[in-house]
Amino acid sequence: MSSPSSSLSTYSSFSLSRIWTLATNTVTQLLRMKILVFLAVFSVIVVAAGFSFPAMSPEQQLKLLKDVSLGALQIFSMVIAIAATALLLPRDLEDRTLYTILSKPVPRYEYLIGKLLGVLLLLGGGLLIMDLIFSSIVWLKQSLIISNQIAALRSEQQDVPDNIAAIKAFTGQYGLTWSLHAGVWSIFLKASVIAALSLLISCFASSTLFTIVVSLGFTIAGHGQQLMREWFVSKLSGFWEQTIGLVMTLICPDLSLFDLVEAAIRGDVIQLAALGSVTGMALLYIVGYTAVAYLFFADKEL
Amino acid sequence: MKTKFGIGIRPLIGTVLLVLLGLVQMPLEFRLSDSLREKKLIPSPPDLSLRESLGQMGFAAVLGGLRSLIASITYLQAYVAFENIEWGKVDSLMTLTTRLQPQEPLYWDDASWHMAYNAASSYQKDESLRLPLRDKLYRDYVQRGIDILNEGLTYLPDNPRLLTRLGDIYNANSASRRQPDARKAAHYYLEAYKNGAREFYERMAAYQLALLDDRESQQQAYDILRRYYDKGRYFDTMNTLFPELEEKLGIPKEKRVPGPVKFQSR
Repeated sequence: MSSPSSSLSTYSSFSLSRIWTLATNTVTQLLRMKILVFLAVFSVIVVAAGFSFPAMSPEQQLKLLKDVSLGALQIFSMVIAIAATALLLPRDLEDRTLYTILSKPVPRYEYLIGKLLGVLLLLGGGLLIMDLIFSSIVWLKQSLIISNQIAALRSEQQDVPDNIAAIKAFTGQYGLTWSLHAGVWSIFLKASVIAALSLLISCFASSTLFTIVVSLGFTIAGHGQQLMREWFVSKLSGFWEQTIGLVMTLICPDLSLFDLVEAAIRGDVIQLAALGSVTGMALLYIVGYTAVAYLFFADKEL
Repeated sequence: MKTKFGIGIRPLIGTVLLVLLGLVQMPLEFRLSDSLREKKLIPSPPDLSLRESLGQMGFAAVLGGLRSLIASITYLQAYVAFENIEWGKVDSLMTLTTRLQPQEPLYWDDASWHMAYNAASSYQKDESLRLPLRDKLYRDYVQRGIDILNEGLTYLPDNPRLLTRLGDIYNANSASRRQPDARKAAHYYLEAYKNGAREFYERMAAYQLALLDDRESQQQAYDILRRYYDKGRYFDTMNTLFPELEEKLGIPKEKRVPGPVKFQSR
């Protein structure tokens, strides 16, 4: 048995294993809240969207499938990011788990990082599964469309290699491309930033409802950052409008930076450099908000 | 530890840090959004006038990053209006759709097709209207289709899909004659071909050029078709065009394409 002094000497003020334990426990805690029901709902939406609208042109059918699926994916990821994060601290307080954890030598920043990491793991895992389901349906739909078009060409005796290649290239652009996964990654980044922001809000919020409502407000404002800058800062000259605009611009993340989904749906190539820059920006937000969240949480009376 | 105002020191530092973070991230956000917008990877902020057309909820959804989904919904509404033959509604909904996603060529193409083909033909065949009015509406809607494509080209310059559609509308040989103008058709087909459209459109340009009276256009048409012939690619239209063009251009008999060539209709 180790003496208290030797335990103290081996104690590290920052432990990745402690954070990982907290993160995995958070995932379990969220899974018990049946948060993955979203996955089943998403699957139904994708399958329904995949085989609806047969009267449309082939590329429009594929575009609609991608629009509906990625739209659902965005909504689910944002809802999970806000709701799951907003529920974490109050639930731990209610269950008294928070006191058990913090009475052990676990610094509050590790607790916060562990909780956020847990939400991000759940979001990442969920999005990965949804991406797999979505990609399979897009691929299936694309293959069906191409084979139908080739059959139509054959019936008109126009199935020469040139025409088949043109059909494959044209339909392929609206079908399954690597850009779609980049789009899903950008959705993950956006949801992660929203989760970090919600965590920050929940550190000084008085209730779960307050956290959810304020986070939702910031999420909408974050998408309209560009408009806010133009509208408040440039166009109106009133003192209060300018002040509110400036404050919102300073504290809100610019979530429109993560809207790579449109380009992904169009089948445009999303370069790795661009994806890297967007990822870097997301990391800056996440690290920044988590640091501020800690400063609020450190003095919080529990 | 608390300040004399009862606020903890650390939350105060946190607030200052949040503002500092904003000051650091703002120039980075500007630079990144400009760069992504330049590469057409993220859309421009939605026009505030869209709020009136979409309503508060729709506009909030557009702001919430669901612009593509909302565009799909307005497109579907336009499709329903098309099935109900409500051309004014089709036009306004397709205009809304193209405003939401101006970088999507599919929407410009469909918006123009609805106007220049569906609406124009529908009015032309509407026997409840007087003939002069039918003709006027036909011309107006074809022109509307052309205007839509030209507007689309301001957002997507040199887009082959939009250029070929303009060529189709001006095509003087087409069975569904819209606004026949062989010179314009040839111009747009050639532009489309130069910007990545299939070889077929270069030949279409040649067929249009062959219809024109000036020697320069006929020579250009002949050069294009001869190039295909020399590469061993024959098409049935060439059988009638070669003798005509060679006669008009006064090409010596020994340099002419020999007799009817074997067809390659595919």
